[in-house]
Amino acid sequence: MDEPVLRVRNLTKTYMQGKIPVHALNDVSFDVEKGEFMSIVGPSGSGKSTLLSMIGLLDKPTSGSVFIDDKEITKAKESEVPKLRREKIGFVFQHFNLIPTLTAFENVDVAMRFARVPKNERKQRAVELLTQMGLADRMKHKPSELSGGEQQRTAIARALSNHPAIILADEPTGEVDTKTRDMIVNLLRKLSEEGHTILVVTHDTAVAQQTGRIITMRDGMIESDKT
Amino acid sequence: MNNFDLILRNVTQRKMRTGLTIFGIALGIFAIMVMGGMSEYFNRSADRGLDLMSDKIYIVPESGFFGGSLEDSMVSKVRRIPGVFDAYGVLYLPYDMESLGMFGAFVVGLPPDKQELTLRDIKLTQGRLLLPGDSYRAVIGSNVVRQYGLDVGGEIEIKSKRVQRASTITTARNFTVVGAMEFTSTDFDYMIIIPLDLAKKFYEMGDQLTYIWAVPEEGVDAEDLSRRIELGVDNIKTISPQELRKQSEQVLLVMNLITISAAVLAAIIGGLSVMNTMLMSVSERTREFGLMKAMGAEVRDILLLTMGESALMGILGGIIGIAGGSIFIYFMNEYLATMGTVLFAVTYRLMAISLLFATFLGTVSGILPAYRAAKMRPMEAMKYG
Repeated sequence: MDEPVLRVRNLTKTYMQGKIPVHALNDVSFDVEKGEFMSIVGPSGSGKSTLLSMIGLLDKPTSGSVFIDDKEITKAKESEVPKLRREKIGFVFQHFNLIPTLTAFENVDVAMRFARVPKNERKQRAVELLTQMGLADRMKHKPSELSGGEQQRTAIARALSNHPAIILADEPTGEVDTKTRDMIVNLLRKLSEEGHTILVVTHDTAVAQQTGRIITMRDGMIESDKT
Repeated sequence: MNNFDLILRNVTQRKMRTGLTIFGIALGIFAIMVMGGMSEYFNRSADRGLDLMSDKIYIVPESGFFGGSLEDSMVSKVRRIPGVFDAYGVLYLPYDMESLGMFGAFVVGLPPDKQELTLRDIKLTQGRLLLPGDSYRAVIGSNVVRQYGLDVGGEIEIKSKRVQRASTITTARNFTVVGAMEFTSTDFDYMIIIPLDLAKKFYEMGDQLTYIWAVPEEGVDAEDLSRRIELGVDNIKTISPQELRKQSEQVLLVMNLITISAAVLAAIIGGLSVMNTMLMSVSERTREFGLMKAMGAEVRDILLLTMGESALMGILGGIIGIAGGSIFIYFMNEYLATMGTVLFAVTYRLMAISLLFATFLGTVSGILPAYRAAKMRPMEAMKYG
């Protein structure tokens, strides 16, 4: 196996609910290799989404560390965070989260704008990614004119646009029918076979079954880690 | 990062709301243009008027315009004061005797040989000046030309009124226009100049005068001379060039204050409306900004996007306001010209100030909403929707 792309070490997150501390994450550690297609499952409140937001730099842990490509992102300064998000992480969300006023093409394009990619390069890459997602003829459509599956594929194209070290997918099949769900899972698997590292958070066991590794969480801790 | 296309997209997305906001700014800028146009006209008029008139000392009756009177004999007394190059009397009467004389044309009785001293560098667009010996002849200002549609050779009827016991006797005579003056944006535009001797006879003024104008010799201090005239001639008061300037500055100050108040009011109304629109737009797009941050957008990317939107609304409102104001002023001036007056001037300075002001307004009103958008935490922002 290669060097781990992602290393999570003793990650702990404690929220204060009034005066009562809530341990959302409790001393979580694991590694993810390059090209792995893995899932994190568990009931709601088990800490899986919290874990994902720590890895995605959307939230800060109480203690512990996250390393992506050997860079300790949990120690990053506030000013470095946007750059790390652009370069290391590609998000795919449950609600697709496309910008409603922009077309599919522009939604992919805008992510590269934030990374200061030159216009020509952006165009080429967006067309290439959307074609790869089977959306070559849907590029000029706005999210409201796309089906759930098409929207999610657009979101995946966007997540891939800046060549991230890892793709974090939060319930990517939460709002689609089973047929679309299978299509998306197959797509993600194919991407992992091409060398992309993909971490899916889901409560859908059917999705988890199709990934190469399943981490099950309960009460903020890893209950099992099966390959 | 050039995101003008994104900014434009967002601004045009919500057409009604953006339109109303832009209209609000446009109204404010319109008010600035109209008030400013008036103030610009008065500024220009005062500047030019002072240019034309500040070489003379104005002599008025001591007790004011209505009480006392000046007489011919005083002119020679003034002329005898050392330092006076020349002095001459002037009759100044409203053209329409019924009016209060605040607006509209004036009949000015002027000795023909003093016309050049009086008009200085004002050029004639048609005809000639009055000549000694001219009788019922007149040289008219440009607003008089426009109001009465007169050309050289045309006739203008002048009336004089005299009260005798219980009845008024009105005499009317046609005067032939021999010359027309260029537009000066000063009182000269409203003048109907006729020979002084004839004016005295026509209005039956005896040897009374409205003003005496004294021209200092070269190198003589006008302020000193004006004090010497006041001491040397009884029953008169002088207005020196410096006092004239001071008086006109006071009037301008009032005008400028009116303009500034209009601008401040416009700023408050326009600014609040932009801020309201942007705050609404930002809160509607909370999730969008959270998403952008999750994609790695920098704080300054989001600041630029949101402030760019509000600045663009300011600029558009400014352009519409300036265009609307200019059109309004154009037609207003055309209309006023037929009434014999002009009130507004559109200058490049005014347009530039209006546009800068509108842009500034849009940008500043966008700061708070932009800051709110930029500081959004991606986690909370995305849970929002």
